Amino acid sequence: MQVNMRIRRFNPEKDEKPYWGEYTLDDVDPNESVLDLLRRLKGEQDGTLTLRSSCAHGVCGSDAMRINGANMLACKTLVSRLGKEGSSEVKIQIEPILGLKVQKDLVVDMEPFFDHYKSVMPYFVNDSPPPADGRERLQSIEDRARFDDTTKCILCAACTTSCPSFWANEKYVGPAAIVQAHRFIFDSRDQAPEERLKVVGDTFGVWRCRTIFNCTNACPREIEVTKAIAEVKDVLATGKI
Amino acid sequence: MTKLTGVTHRKVQVPSNKERTAFLFMRLSGVFLLFLAVSHVLVQHVVNSVHDLDIQFVIERWSSVTIRGIDLLLLFFALIHGVNGLRNILEDYVHSAKAMKVINVLLVVFLVISLIFASVAIITFNPGT
Repeated sequence: MQVNMRIRRFNPEKDEKPYWGEYTLDDVDPNESVLDLLRRLKGEQDGTLTLRSSCAHGVCGSDAMRINGANMLACKTLVSRLGKEGSSEVKIQIEPILGLKVQKDLVVDMEPFFDHYKSVMPYFVNDSPPPADGRERLQSIEDRARFDDTTKCILCAACTTSCPSFWANEKYVGPAAIVQAHRFIFDSRDQAPEERLKVVGDTFGVWRCRTIFNCTNACPREIEVTKAIAEVKDVLATGKI
Repeated sequence: MTKLTGVTHRKVQVPSNKERTAFLFMRLSGVFLLFLAVSHVLVQHVVNSVHDLDIQFVIERWSSVTIRGIDLLLLFFALIHGVNGLRNILEDYVHSAKAMKVINVLLVVFLVISLIFASVAIITFNPGT
């Protein structure tokens, strides 16, 4: 199979503005991932191509990028998914995720994203003494199930950078940070829901969500992001968790 | 205290600000508008033909205090809902805080003037004068 790749390139030290680089790869196996192709391209054709990747198995969340117009993890996206069935030629367009400053080629500055993440206090808060037996703080299966979905986030930023509200205003805390807030707000053992609700209930919090569902479609972990945001809105509207 | 069976429900203090108020208003007015706007369209455009909408039709409808009340509710819910929606859209495109302030003032002026004029028309309508 032949793959024609169109990649958004930009080197701030050399280029005045971004441009499209065009590449062709032959003998591609349809079961190869987009990350496999990018690594092959970097090794065989252009060593200056810059991208982030680490585990290559959809766990670390390093290689979120815009593939054929939608945010995906390059390592989890197989070439067979991008071409027409039975076709011997596939076209793939790759861009950096939107809404964050491009540092080089497919690498963006993730700091604003992590600043929003940190703002919701994404850690367990409980100042009461641990149980006398020294074991973990138990909770019911039903209580654990309430935030199970939002524990799956790998902070790849695919959701936040697919959100038009975030593109419009980078002050918006974004879907990923709200997912993290949800994970702790709905944890019956956590004692700081009100502090997190102050952040996500602010002008640039959940109210900026327009229920567009791009985040849910983009999530490589299949987290129901829009539903989680709606549940946080519900807490802010009713005062009940 | 965490339970070991069932779901633990907790009450929390939530921050109150204009965005929360606007969100709650949009939800509430949305539910009302579902009935008010749909029934308005049905009455004005389906049950009655648009070609029959003359002053006589208005006189007949507004002879009922209930219909005037319903139209007033529709006016307030629809106009505020629409203007707030417009504000939300504009906020996505206008990034200057100063410009947004000016836009907000203009929207409020437009809203208040429209509400006053339309309310006066509905409340004081008298076919005899």
